[in-house]
Amino acid sequence: MNASQPVESVLWDDWHPVGELVQLQRTAVLHTMLLGVPLTLTLAADGSVTATGAPHGTPVPMQHVAIRYGLVWLCLGTPAREIVDFPETRESDRVVCTGGSVAVAVSGLRAVENFLDLGHLAFVHAGYLGEEPHTEICAYKVEPLADGGILATQCRVYQPRPSPMESQGFDVDYIYAVRRPYIVVLFKANPVEKDRMDMIALLAQPVTEERCVAHVLMAYPPHNVDVASLRWFQQLIFGQDRPILENQLPKRLPLDPRSEISVRADSSSAHYRRWLSAVGVRYGAVPVAAA
Amino acid sequence: MNRWFAVSACGEVPHGHVAHTQLLGQELVLWRSASGTLNAWENRCPHRGVRLTLGTCVGEELRCQYHAWRFASASGQCTHIPSHPNQKPASTIRSQVFPVFEDGTFAWVNLTRAAVPPQQAAVGIDTALRSLFADAPVAAVRQVLLRGYADQAVGLVDEFTLDATEYALRFMLQPVTADQTIIHARLQGEVAAAKRMTVLRHHNALLSAARDHAEAAS
Repeated sequence: MNASQPVESVLWDDWHPVGELVQLQRTAVLHTMLLGVPLTLTLAADGSVTATGAPHGTPVPMQHVAIRYGLVWLCLGTPAREIVDFPETRESDRVVCTGGSVAVAVSGLRAVENFLDLGHLAFVHAGYLGEEPHTEICAYKVEPLADGGILATQCRVYQPRPSPMESQGFDVDYIYAVRRPYIVVLFKANPVEKDRMDMIALLAQPVTEERCVAHVLMAYPPHNVDVASLRWFQQLIFGQDRPILENQLPKRLPLDPRSEISVRADSSSAHYRRWLSAVGVRYGAVPVAAA
Repeated sequence: MNRWFAVSACGEVPHGHVAHTQLLGQELVLWRSASGTLNAWENRCPHRGVRLTLGTCVGEELRCQYHAWRFASASGQCTHIPSHPNQKPASTIRSQVFPVFEDGTFAWVNLTRAAVPPQQAAVGIDTALRSLFADAPVAAVRQVLLRGYADQAVGLVDEFTLDATEYALRFMLQPVTADQTIIHARLQGEVAAAKRMTVLRHHNALLSAARDHAEAAS
C-alpha cells in the first residue's frame, strides 16, 4: 500500500476496534496503529477517550472515536455505517467481556479466515475444540448476509472440551457470521439452554497489511460462567492459533482461488475470499490479478 | 536458474528430520523420509500456505501442522486430507517439489523443476566442515575466501578447490538471498584420524574469521 493508492472506502470509512478498554484503564495511554496510521489513545478523567494520529499529532475528530462493548472504536475517514451491532451483548443476563488483545504478525484477513476454519480444530486445538479421529467435516451451508458478509450454518464438530465450563465432550453446533471484512462472529450451542448460543466475536484490527491485533468479544448465557475463565480459555486457544498464523506465506490473504487449494471443508473460506473480492477489499489481501 | 547448489551436509538431515533452508530467496523444507529419501520442497503447504517446516515426518510422508494433510516423499502428492478421510485427494493437490541429489557428503538442489541430477562418478565420502551463515552477499564471501585461504583457487565461480599437502579443500557457496550466504566446505582426500579434530578446528577458525571479514566488508 503506498500513498498513491489510498485505502479503499469499505475499510477507511468504517469503524475498527483499536484497543481494549481494560488495557487503556491500566495504562491511560495506548500507542497503536490502524491501516498504517500511528495513533495515540488517551483516557480522560471523565472516562472519554481521545485519539491523535501521528506523525503530525492530528487529532481524530471526537465523533469518530467511541467506546462500545469494552473496546475503543475509531473511524479514520467519514463513517459510512454504524459500529457493528452485537445484540447478544444487550441481553441482561449474559456475561459480556472482552477476551484480551493479541498482536499477530499476519494480515487480519488471515486471522478471520482461521477463525472460520473447522478443519484445524482437531489438530491445532486437540483436546479442546476437537480431536482425532473426529476429523471429518460434514457439508455445511454458506450464504450471503442481507447487509453484507456471509453466514455459515449447520456446522457440527465433536469437541472434547468446548468451553472452560465443560469437561464432557459432545457434538457442538456452530454458526459463523462474517459481519465486516475484519470482523467475524461465532455462535456455539449452549449446553444448558438449548435455544441460546454462546457468542464469541473475533475483531481484527488491521494494523498494517501484514500485521493485526486480534480483539475478542464474548457474550455467554450465565451458567457456571465467570469472566476470568472465559478470558483464560480464549487466550489459551488463541495462543495455539498464533504460531500457525505467523507461519502463513504470504502474510496477506490471497484472493485468487488458484493461489491456494480449497476442498469442500473450506467452503466458508472460499466464500469469504470471493466476498472480499466482490466488495473490493485490497488492504491485507493479495487481490486477484487483472486478466 | 538452472544450476545446482549445495544446501546442506547430508548428515545434517538424518532420517525423519525436517529442516529449513533458503536458496536465492526461495524458502525450502528439506526433509528425509524414514526410508532415507531426501526431499527439497517449497516451504509452503499448497492448502493454506503454512510453512511445512512446522510439520512432521510420518514414515514416507510429511504432515502439515495446520490441517494434517499428508504429502508423499519424492512425488509431493497429497495422500490424505483428514477433513474428508474417505476421499482420495485429487492428483492435482501436491507440494512444489524441487530436484535434489546427494553426492555422498552434500545435498544439492536445483530450482529449475525439470533439471535432471548429474550422472555422478562414484565419489568418495569427504569430510564436511561445519557450514557457516554469513550476513554478506556471495561475491563478498568469495573474495574474502580467495584472499584469506590461498592463491591457488581453481574451479567454478562459487565452487573452488584449494590444494593442501594431504587433502584438498572445496568451497560451495549457497546464495540464501542477495545479501546472505551459507558457506559450505568439504575436505577431499585422506585426513588421518589422529589429526581429524585438529584439522576441523583449524578450518572452523579460519572460516569464522572469513565470515567476520565478509560481514564487515558488506
